[in-house]
Formats: sequence, C-alpha cells, structure tokens
Amino acid sequence: MKAERDELGFDAPAPVGHPVRASLPADAPTGPAIGDRLPNFSLPDAFGRVVNFHEDRGQSKAALVFYRSAVW
Amino acid sequence: MRDAFDKFEAAGIKLYALSYDDQETLAEFAQKQGVQYKLLSDTDSRVIKQYGLLNEQLSKKDAFLYGIPYPGVFVCDEDGTVISKFFHDSYKKRESPEMLIDAALGRITIDETAPRAESSDDGIRITAALHGGNGSLRQGIVRQLVTTFELPEGLHIYGEPVPQGLTATEIKVEGPAGLVTLPMEAPSTAPLRSKTLDIDLNVWSGTVRFATPLYPVGELVSECRPIDEREVELSVHVTFQACTDETCLLPQTRILTLRVELEEVDVPNLPIHTGHGQREGNYDSTPAMKRLVWRKVRKNPLRLLQFIWNRKRMERRSKR
Repeated sequence: MKAERDELGFDAPAPVGHPVRASLPADAPTGPAIGDRLPNFSLPDAFGRVVNFHEDRGQSKAALVFYRSAVW
Repeated sequence: MRDAFDKFEAAGIKLYALSYDDQETLAEFAQKQGVQYKLLSDTDSRVIKQYGLLNEQLSKKDAFLYGIPYPGVFVCDEDGTVISKFFHDSYKKRESPEMLIDAALGRITIDETAPRAESSDDGIRITAALHGGNGSLRQGIVRQLVTTFELPEGLHIYGEPVPQGLTATEIKVEGPAGLVTLPMEAPSTAPLRSKTLDIDLNVWSGTVRFATPLYPVGELVSECRPIDEREVELSVHVTFQACTDETCLLPQTRILTLRVELEEVDVPNLPIHTGHGQREGNYDSTPAMKRLVWRKVRKNPLRLLQFIWNRKRMERRSKR
C-alpha cells in the first residue's frame, strides 16, 4: 500500500481515516487549565517503583507528557 | 526529548512521560533508546481518565488502541500549578523539548549551536536562528525560528497597530514546499506617547526576540520515505522601521538566509510501519506489541479480528 497523506499534510503507513492516525477533534478535552494545580497521582515507573507525582517533583518545576505509546 | 534531557536538568525541570504501556515495555524502551527521564506506566488509563484526556475517538472496538490519551504536555511551576500546556490537532505534531523549557522559564532562548544568519546595518543587528532539536527539522516537531533585534539605545521599532506613514515590524519565514509556519509570537509592546502625532504608539526597544513556530509535513519530511535532501534553505524576511523619539529611518526589509538539516523520524520496527521505504526503525517493539495486544484483547479476541479486517478493508479501498 502506498503511504497516504492526511489533510494536515502528514504521511503515515496506515490508510487515511484508520483509527491509528485519527486527527484530534477541535473540541478535544485538554485536561486541567492553566492556573489549576495538576491533580496528583501515583504510578509505577519503568523499574516498577511507584512514583507519587507531586512528592517526586518536590519543589521543582516539571513537564508532564501524555503520549500515545512507546510501542507503536 | 531524550536528546534534550540535559537541558531540562540544567533548567531544573523534572520530566515525566505517561502512557498506557506496561512496565516491561517502558523498561525496554528506556534501555534501547537511552531514555533518562521517568516513564510512567498507566496500564488501565486511570490517570489518563483522571485528567480527562482519554481519547474518545477510539472505543473498545478499536482493540488495543483503546486507552490512549489525546497527546499533550503540561508544564507546571514549583507549586504544581499549570503554567503552560500544549495540545495539537495531530499526534504527529508536537513541540520541540526546548519550547517546553522556555515555557517553564517564561523566555525564548537560542542554543549556542543553532544555525543562524546575521545582518548588521545602521547600528541595528538582526539575528535569525532555528531554535530546538539542535537546529534541525523533523516531521511534525514544532521548532521556532527566533529573530532577535538588537537595537541601540534610543531607537525603537513598532508593533501593530501603526498610524499611516509608519511601518510595523513583520517577519515572514519562507522555506521549501512542505514547511508550515504558524503565527509569530512577540513579546508585549511598551506604549509610547508621540507628542508630534498626539497618539499612543506600540514599541519595542533594546533586545527583542520574535518567534515563528514552524514544522515540516510529509511533502518535505516523511516517515514513509527516506529524506530527499540533507539540508534546506530558510529565508527570513524582516520588515521594520526604526525611529528615535524625534526622527525615523526609512522602512527597510532585510533578508536573512540559513541552511538547516532535515532529520529522520524515529519509527519503531513494527510490521505496521515497515514496507513504506523509510529507514529501518530504531528498535524492535514487536514483543511489546504482542504483550499490548494480549493485555488489551484477551477478554474479547474478536475485537482483534475486527481490527485486522477493518484495516485490510481500508487498505483495499485506498488502493482503488
């Protein structure tokens, strides 16, 4: 199959319209607003250690990235 | 992200990346890709839902895809308060890590090694530099073309709106087909009362930085074919008029050109990605994919069959 170009100009191996390459709707939610405190959570890291976000951050600024997957 | 880790460290910003992958996958990814920041494993998408970011364009029918977030980044201050956030219309599009650092620090910086062009005349120095990713372009990654004015004491330039007869500062970046530019970001202007015209003007003085975000799309750089050329040329058209409180220089346009490198996209080696002519992927995520699929669809294997059938159907349709 030839790579197809989507309406934003990007190429991907999957056909246009396939769910793996869905573009984000304009009204997609974007979570906590500027000025809000980020909700706290605990999750395991790659080594199985549980990370409490705000505790681990301590008094540092932080960037929290939500991404699709490290697999595909 | 991986390449910019040291810059985050130096700026005192902790970096976390969260996905629905299992720990084993993240451990492999971290090891093979040399990732030093914390990869968090949200296997049941609990935190993704808590943040209200669950991608609802996908449903459980989409087999192993379900559970991913709308991709984006939050930058928070020392108290954990969001000071900046970035969400985009495509999963392929995202900020340069350097832009996240700038957002956290509230400033625009330029790497020392960034490709740049310079023009000095009338005592006014203008520099154009490509900020982010060591000055290279990569599909969908938003870099900034930063234009710096160094204005001598007493001179200022104008922001919109300007009265007739004066020229506002304008920066246009031109590049090869497939380069997308976004609206320029400028610092706020200072008001200046003009006694002769009896109006308020909007001015910048001293050292001023303007950022034009830009990114390449498939026509220029694609994950589905090797890159055509190693380098491309960007030309920056800077129009401005410099004045003192009493007199004005003529409006002028300076053109600065710089050459920037194109970079390939990191694609994992997976059957769904291969066969499209791009270079070989950086690491093989097939075992991780198998685990993901098993974890997601074992309760309802029919969904995987539906998924495969759906994809085949779409591929057949696109061939026509």
